[in-house]
Amino acid sequence: MSETHSPLSAFHFTGQMSGDGLFDIGQHGLHPALFSAYEDLSKLRYDYPLVLIKSANGGSCLISLSDIINEILRTIASPGIDGERLRKHVLRLEAKIRSLTRDGNKGTLADLWQLAEVDLRARGGDNGAGTALDDSMRAARAALGVDGDIVDYDDDTPRKFLSHAWSVAQEDKAGKFSLQLDEMILKLLNILKGDSMRSATAFDTDALKRTVGTSYESAFDFESMSDILSTAFVPGALPGKRWRRIRSVLSTLKAQKFFPPANGNGAKKRRKNSPAYVFDHCAPAIEAFRRRLPKMVALVKAMTIAQLEIDGRYRESTHDSFFRHYDERYLEAGDLAMFPTYLICLRKGHDAKAEKADLVEVLSSGLPFKVLLQNDDIVEELSIGSGQFSFGVRGSQLASLALGLDGVFVLQASGADLYRLRDQVISGVNHSGPALFNIFSGRAGPASRSAKNAPDTPLYLRAAAATESRAFPVFIHDPLSERDKESRVSVGGNPQPEADWTTHRFSFEDADLQKSSADIAFTFVDFAAIDDRYADRFAGVPRSQWRDDMVPVNEFLELDDVTAAHKVPYILMIDDNNVLHRAIVEVRLIQAARRCSEMWRNLRNLDGIDYSRASKAPATKTEPEAPQDEVAAAAKTAVNTKTQADIEELPSAVPGEPYIETPRCTTCDECTKINKRMFAYDDNKQAYIADLSAGTYRQLVEAAESCQVAIIHPGKPINTDEPNLSELMPRAELFN
Amino acid sequence: MSTPIAECALRLLDEEHPLDDYKGRVPRWCTGCGDSAILAAVQRLCRDEQLAPEKTVFVSGIGCSSRFPHYMNTYGFHGLHGRAMPIAEGIKMRRPDLHVFVITGDGDCCSIGTAHWIHALRYNMNMTVLMHDNGIYGLTKNQASPTSPQGLKSKTTPHGTLLEPINPVSVSLGIRNASFVAQAVDWIPDMLHDIIEAAFHHKGFSFVRILQRCPEFMPGRFDEWVQNPDSMLLLDHADGVKVGPNMAKVYRNLEQHDPSDRNRAREIASTYHPMPVGVLYRNAEMPCYEELRKPDRMYTSGIVKSVLEKEFDKFTINPAA
Repeated sequence: MSETHSPLSAFHFTGQMSGDGLFDIGQHGLHPALFSAYEDLSKLRYDYPLVLIKSANGGSCLISLSDIINEILRTIASPGIDGERLRKHVLRLEAKIRSLTRDGNKGTLADLWQLAEVDLRARGGDNGAGTALDDSMRAARAALGVDGDIVDYDDDTPRKFLSHAWSVAQEDKAGKFSLQLDEMILKLLNILKGDSMRSATAFDTDALKRTVGTSYESAFDFESMSDILSTAFVPGALPGKRWRRIRSVLSTLKAQKFFPPANGNGAKKRRKNSPAYVFDHCAPAIEAFRRRLPKMVALVKAMTIAQLEIDGRYRESTHDSFFRHYDERYLEAGDLAMFPTYLICLRKGHDAKAEKADLVEVLSSGLPFKVLLQNDDIVEELSIGSGQFSFGVRGSQLASLALGLDGVFVLQASGADLYRLRDQVISGVNHSGPALFNIFSGRAGPASRSAKNAPDTPLYLRAAAATESRAFPVFIHDPLSERDKESRVSVGGNPQPEADWTTHRFSFEDADLQKSSADIAFTFVDFAAIDDRYADRFAGVPRSQWRDDMVPVNEFLELDDVTAAHKVPYILMIDDNNVLHRAIVEVRLIQAARRCSEMWRNLRNLDGIDYSRASKAPATKTEPEAPQDEVAAAAKTAVNTKTQADIEELPSAVPGEPYIETPRCTTCDECTKINKRMFAYDDNKQAYIADLSAGTYRQLVEAAESCQVAIIHPGKPINTDEPNLSELMPRAELFN
Repeated sequence: MSTPIAECALRLLDEEHPLDDYKGRVPRWCTGCGDSAILAAVQRLCRDEQLAPEKTVFVSGIGCSSRFPHYMNTYGFHGLHGRAMPIAEGIKMRRPDLHVFVITGDGDCCSIGTAHWIHALRYNMNMTVLMHDNGIYGLTKNQASPTSPQGLKSKTTPHGTLLEPINPVSVSLGIRNASFVAQAVDWIPDMLHDIIEAAFHHKGFSFVRILQRCPEFMPGRFDEWVQNPDSMLLLDHADGVKVGPNMAKVYRNLEQHDPSDRNRAREIASTYHPMPVGVLYRNAEMPCYEELRKPDRMYTSGIVKSVLEKEFDKFTINPAA
């Protein structure tokens, strides 16, 4: 190591700056070079703001403003000048709505749309083209088919996102449940009504008068009508016990409070009194579930009895005792799936340890709890103090633990990925068992530290960086996935999942102001560089001191120990003037990056992406069963015309013994008409020889001759003294 | 809606229906009639599926085939000539929970009942239709039917039929909404049973043409195929009917036919040499009419009463006036 290299190597190994030249990246405001394209999110069209759609009507309940605008433009913007003008107006409207949202304006899309329109009109639109602007706004408004609350990205977005998806799923479930429950109630009422209509009370003169009404009372002779009806109908009232059972079940069904009624009657009041299903901690959620369990059991029991009564299959001798002992032990997953699920929104950073035991209980219970575990810091300060970086460990720990539990849906992602993974989020919300959503908000530390960690980097970008750098990779575990058990974890939601690190094309001007570009990897080290807490792990290197032994971090990580000892890792950074810099990295951060890479590879292995060997051979199409192959091959050969008697049939048990190819019998009664004791039908109504001694050989031969599908084989006569055998034997031979 | 626990509760009931539970009156068909094989296959299906007799209904028109409901111990409706399908459609609309089977014949379905048949295919309501095709009007003692072979001499065609017979399978495949079309023969009972089973499990209008022997008025009509297994072509596919190895040893002429291939189905259906047997076409995605017409609200007695009163009010005659 020469004297001129030692400051760089010294910093790399010790973290101490020595000599002139190296500078603090924090003081110069350096940030990762790949962030240059994302300096001002407000000028970019991306996933936020998001509209939480109120009535999805079969569509998605979560749509970004950009997607809504794109759909509007696709519908109304035709090619040509007019279409371009309209496009321009609508995109300006979108930018204004985005700006209003960023400035903290709240409301629905319709509200902010209105504000944005007013603003645009006030500025006059195109010079002298106010009419054109009006037309564009009118057309766009007419094409806007959705509305809902509009939310920008902040550290509360994961909760809002998941809560909305959950509440839409709940409403859908409530609607279906209530309709079906009402149908059940109606059918039970019909049973009781049918009973009452057959009763003596229904045929009473006064009852008949009431059915007709007062207008036409005088047109009917109700007494005669009552006499006739009383004699015409056969009385048959419901047994008292059954009647009481149905009434009891009806009252339980009508009194359920788990969902509001489908017809909306009293829905507001019912909704006000309906139990809560959203919690901030696991313990009250578990307690609420336990408290409601007896009512759930009672409702399931009532619905089951109702179903049996409607089908007319309730048997008191069997079912009375069954339902007498019925309790929560008999509840199945399918029964619980009918009821509302519980949403628990946990925020790491407060009482995480106290929650952990309850959380494990919730996830291993198999019950329909949906847990949002929001991570606000994936690099714990404690571990920083000890000298080791344990990025995302605690956050991922629970997710990894949940993977080992049977039947738990697990989704890990940063908040920036939520919109892209909305379908999977909705799958998790609709999953019948427990679900864990482990989400990184993008914050660097608890909220109280936000002042110190000045939010120069938007939260959305920080969250996205966590995914890009593999510090907080996306993975999804769906227990009901059709993938094989060994690879039910999917990392496909990550950018460039087959690679260790994501790489991006980066364009720049070199020292001679010539345009150039290079593929740059975005590693864990780049992610760490955006966190002020790590600023002292980097050292900026003046251009004059750039050396050949400086290598990018991703390449450095691939070097063997001997070679690495002579190299110094760096990342590319830019300052506020967009000037390119190199920052060398301290060794502990490199070690953390290495561990991050290992964890990512392990995760890919779970998905069946094995980086160390050739990729798995594609699954081969299942070959047809051998017998079918032989049959298919035989079918392709020339067909020889044969008579029925020449077909090689299944050999009989004993040569010479008469038999019938029973599976091929067509139940035509030919043989049974000849002798129904010798020939009988089995359980499939196909003939077999029941009692050979019950008839003669002649009858066997005649049956063989009359069998239309020639499946009776007379064999040899068992009674050699039977007359006319010499005539019968040649006739029988045709069928043997 | 059935709760999972209801399934457990039902399993507690020792209600198993043997084949005899589905037997109605003693069949009066001729000895050797192919209808017997079809009856046996259907009774086997009912037993294998454990269909509740009170939840099953057979609807028929007029003909030898249409005696069928009398021989089943289930609900039945022996209707008018050619009108089995609209009756079955009405039953299905009002009672979608019932298993509806339609038993019809070549004359009942392809002559007087043609219009109903065409539109029943279009409606694609969930029912199983078995058309017993013996190529003759047998119950009325020997008149030519639309599927009688050309040249057949009968009481109404003493000089022989002049026209080519209609091919019910080809016609069915020409209806855009058709979702299940199959052909079976009564002399291969295993395939007959499996095809009827596939038809029953299909959600939609399952049309099965069953070539059926009539020993009385059409003796020997199918001998060419009955006595020569190689003249049969069995259609084998996982999405249709799987031909077992024992069957394949006897009927060696097999074809792997994907029932979703409508064009190939049309080609296969158009020939009788060899005679195709199996599921020709199947499309499980075709919507059923009763689902398209499902009301968005329940018809409570209050709603029914108010609608009826509104209609009757249009014709009210005030006796006091």
